[in-house]
Amino acid sequence: VTGDIWVILPLICLIGGAFAVYLVARFVTGRNDCLAAFTAAIFAAALGTLVLLRFMTPGTEHLPTWGRFGPGEAFLRAEPGALVIAGVALGLGLLVALYSGHYLTLDRRYETYYPLLLLLATGLVGMVLAADLFNLYLFCELMSISAYVLVGFRRRTQTAIEASFKYLMMGSVGTVIFLLGISFVYRETGQLVLPPPSSPPLGGREGGMGAPGPWTRAGIACIVTGLGIKSAIVPLHTWLPDAHGRAPSSVSAMLSGVIVQSALYTLLKVSLGLGFPAHGLGTLLIALSLFNMTLGNSMALVQTHTKRLLAYSTVAQVGYLMLTMGIGLRYDLVGAIQAGFFLIIVQALTKGLAFLSKGVSHFYLDATTINQLHGTAARLPLVAVCFTVALGGLAAIPPLAGFTGKWFVVTNGLRSSDALGLVGLIVLLLNSLLGLGYYLPLIGALFAPPPIRHARRFRISPWMVVPLIVMGALVIAVGLYPGPWLGWTRAASVYLLELGK
Amino acid sequence: MNTETIWLLTTLGAPLAMALILVLLRGRAVRAAGWLAGAAALFSLASAFALLPALQRGDAPTFAMDWVPAANIRLELRADWLAFPFLLTEASVTLLAVVYAWGYHHLDERSPVFYALLMLFAVGMAGTTLANSMFLFYVFWELMLVASCALIAAWGEGSQRRAVALKYFIFTHLGSLMVLVGLLVLYDAAGSDSFSALRAGLELTPTLVTTVTVLFIVGFCVKMAIFPVHLWLPDAHAVAPMPVTIMLAAAMLGMGTYGVLRFPLSIFSMEQMAPFAVPMMVAGIVSEIYGALMALAERDVKRIIAYSSVSQMGYILFGLGTLTYEGIAGATLHVVFHAIVKALLFMGIGLIIHATGRRRITELGGLRGAMPLTAFCTIVGALAIAGVPPLCIFDSEWMIFAGGFRTPYLALAILSLFGSLLTVAYALWFVGRVFFGPRPPELTVERPHWAMVAPTVLLTILALVEGLVPAPVFAWVNQALAMILGGNW
Repeated sequence: VTGDIWVILPLICLIGGAFAVYLVARFVTGRNDCLAAFTAAIFAAALGTLVLLRFMTPGTEHLPTWGRFGPGEAFLRAEPGALVIAGVALGLGLLVALYSGHYLTLDRRYETYYPLLLLLATGLVGMVLAADLFNLYLFCELMSISAYVLVGFRRRTQTAIEASFKYLMMGSVGTVIFLLGISFVYRETGQLVLPPPSSPPLGGREGGMGAPGPWTRAGIACIVTGLGIKSAIVPLHTWLPDAHGRAPSSVSAMLSGVIVQSALYTLLKVSLGLGFPAHGLGTLLIALSLFNMTLGNSMALVQTHTKRLLAYSTVAQVGYLMLTMGIGLRYDLVGAIQAGFFLIIVQALTKGLAFLSKGVSHFYLDATTINQLHGTAARLPLVAVCFTVALGGLAAIPPLAGFTGKWFVVTNGLRSSDALGLVGLIVLLLNSLLGLGYYLPLIGALFAPPPIRHARRFRISPWMVVPLIVMGALVIAVGLYPGPWLGWTRAASVYLLELGK
Repeated sequence: MNTETIWLLTTLGAPLAMALILVLLRGRAVRAAGWLAGAAALFSLASAFALLPALQRGDAPTFAMDWVPAANIRLELRADWLAFPFLLTEASVTLLAVVYAWGYHHLDERSPVFYALLMLFAVGMAGTTLANSMFLFYVFWELMLVASCALIAAWGEGSQRRAVALKYFIFTHLGSLMVLVGLLVLYDAAGSDSFSALRAGLELTPTLVTTVTVLFIVGFCVKMAIFPVHLWLPDAHAVAPMPVTIMLAAAMLGMGTYGVLRFPLSIFSMEQMAPFAVPMMVAGIVSEIYGALMALAERDVKRIIAYSSVSQMGYILFGLGTLTYEGIAGATLHVVFHAIVKALLFMGIGLIIHATGRRRITELGGLRGAMPLTAFCTIVGALAIAGVPPLCIFDSEWMIFAGGFRTPYLALAILSLFGSLLTVAYALWFVGRVFFGPRPPELTVERPHWAMVAPTVLLTILALVEGLVPAPVFAWVNQALAMILGGNW
């Protein structure tokens, strides 16, 4: 097996790191802060190799691959879109690891948590980099299984176990359907490698001419359904509010911030690679996004539990992402896809920050419902400010990152050449009004007077302060200065559109 | 970067910097907060005046830099004649509201944040008038909303304040979204978000022109609180603390007018706007009459004046809708004069509420003897809003009605003229109930704070002076119109 060693280095870092952290936890030190720092260092190293890899990929013509065994065939391929998502995931992972340095004293069992966090990231990075269906399936399972365990990490809480079990059941059905789809594709084509954009799609018969055959079509349907469960497409989203609402906040930040979005990206990549016409996929995504946005926001309106509210808002946010990706694919608009990748970055920041802030208030004030958040501003001023920035970002209030994202989505969406895209945009704008209905009361609760008089002000641990401030600053910075981030997503969008041609 | 550009930046920068300083100082600057904010507001007003020589030379001080080159988004500020009357109104109202707050606002450890939010509110309004690119315009437009909404939610009066703030935010955000879609359509058509691209001329299909104009007019009407999209206004004005109410009613409502002037009226030709003339005039008259009737029906003094804003914005929309030189000039002038008079009335009411602790008009009466100065100022304000000569609003209403009679729709002009009778009715009824008649025996009156009296007196003088000598302001407004209408009138 040969190839560019840079492609596999991030994965080696992460997997090796997972084992190393476990061994250190067992035999060297069981201290949380040491393990958190070590895990963060591993994330940083993986991120570093990813950055190096990025400098190795000047254009889209010669993508670095690993494991070449034929022309255009590989195990892993450093596609630009995969690099964006893996970069976002590793950056978020780094901050989450630091954050856990104090947050996890609530739950302990450090020797399980940190390796699982690293394996979760391994699965994600591997899944987006994978260039053949077999590896993709394996990494997807690795990611999912780590996620099931992390959701049920508070094993003494019954609701957490219930949520984890529900997630496990639905997730497994998803992966089984996904596997079934892969076997259909294999039955007809006899191979599993997803071709690069210049070559014909895998499903195309006889040298790539013509549409995919019947088995491949059935396979694509299964794969879209299977990955649709992972990316919480309504009506396959029912596991998400439980899982994201019950996991420890640090885990929810990862799950809501990047995992769901990476599953959606994989869905796009695989179905386009198998020959699903871009126009049809775009139409499907736009149609489904209407339900995701409306249902997610309506359900979030009636929640009393903060994390469940944030989880339903994730369903809506995935809807925004589906809409812009759908518009991009249906009308062949690079800008809309670019807005989609920009939204992925924005969602990781805003959703991550929201869950992390929620976690701090849970840690110090034991607040789980919205009413229990009253007085956060008096007792944890930093958390109130960061939470407000995150919620303002999610509600797309200018000049925060969420608004800039929505600006790009709508400007590019307006170029859609028929009514479907415009209907989607109108639904999106009405939904952003609906969103205010729960984001603003949540902000109001943070700044409401505390339930007890003379409430004590807490000193927040620096392990939590650093991630909160970094992410809060990024939400503002990305909103005010989106240029470089937008530039970063350019190649990814062009690549994804090329894949559909 | 020349001197004018520096003044342009300090107009915005002084309040913005002061907001940051106050937030950073927080508890350490409780006593100084009001003074610091006042100094920043004064500096901002002075900077706005410092732009005048350049404007009179025919220049437009501009600050421009690239922001997001990939998406053709630029960061541009520009002071031109259209922006100037609004900028001046906003900066003066902010200064007076801050001075008024020295007397009205109870100091506590959150006071620096209160003044910081007032400053941000001012930055939002100044930025809205000065922005020369769409992205920036929308950022400031929403900053105005966010800051005022936070002020209402945190410092509002009554237990309903957070519900009112939520209603205010969602309602006006609906208008903002319409404006946003309008902006994005223009951005797409022009290929750049700079207003310079719009001035260069646009090629839009007639359907798109109609859509964009409807979006802009309805969106800005939400901010202007035109019936039936005025629903946020009475609650927000009644619940907000008085300095915020003053800024909302006197300055922020004008921003809706600015939007109508800046976007549909400047970009599109009068032929393209012609189909919207009658709907705008009709909506204006409906709003004028409805607001006045509601003001007559209200019992809370603050809500009476709040409904009077709905009515006054009706005059402005009517003036804009005439699409004549007189009507539009009158509407713009009315924004400035309405700001003076509305600030004066709210200040007078604030003095009454502060002195008596009562807001229901049925529990007030006979205050003429107990508070002679307040009574005089408020009566002048009420007469001014009723359009009595020689007070300032008479001048602008004259222009608006004159514009109405220039159109072919004489019936509408006559209707709006007779509608103004209702304005007289509620103004006189209000004055009569509060200052004349028997005084309830248990009504006690406290001495007002000088910081609340001084701006009230100043505005009273201004209302009179502007009525007698409207020429300077009128000249500035005229320059703005020459810009919009191209001077071919």
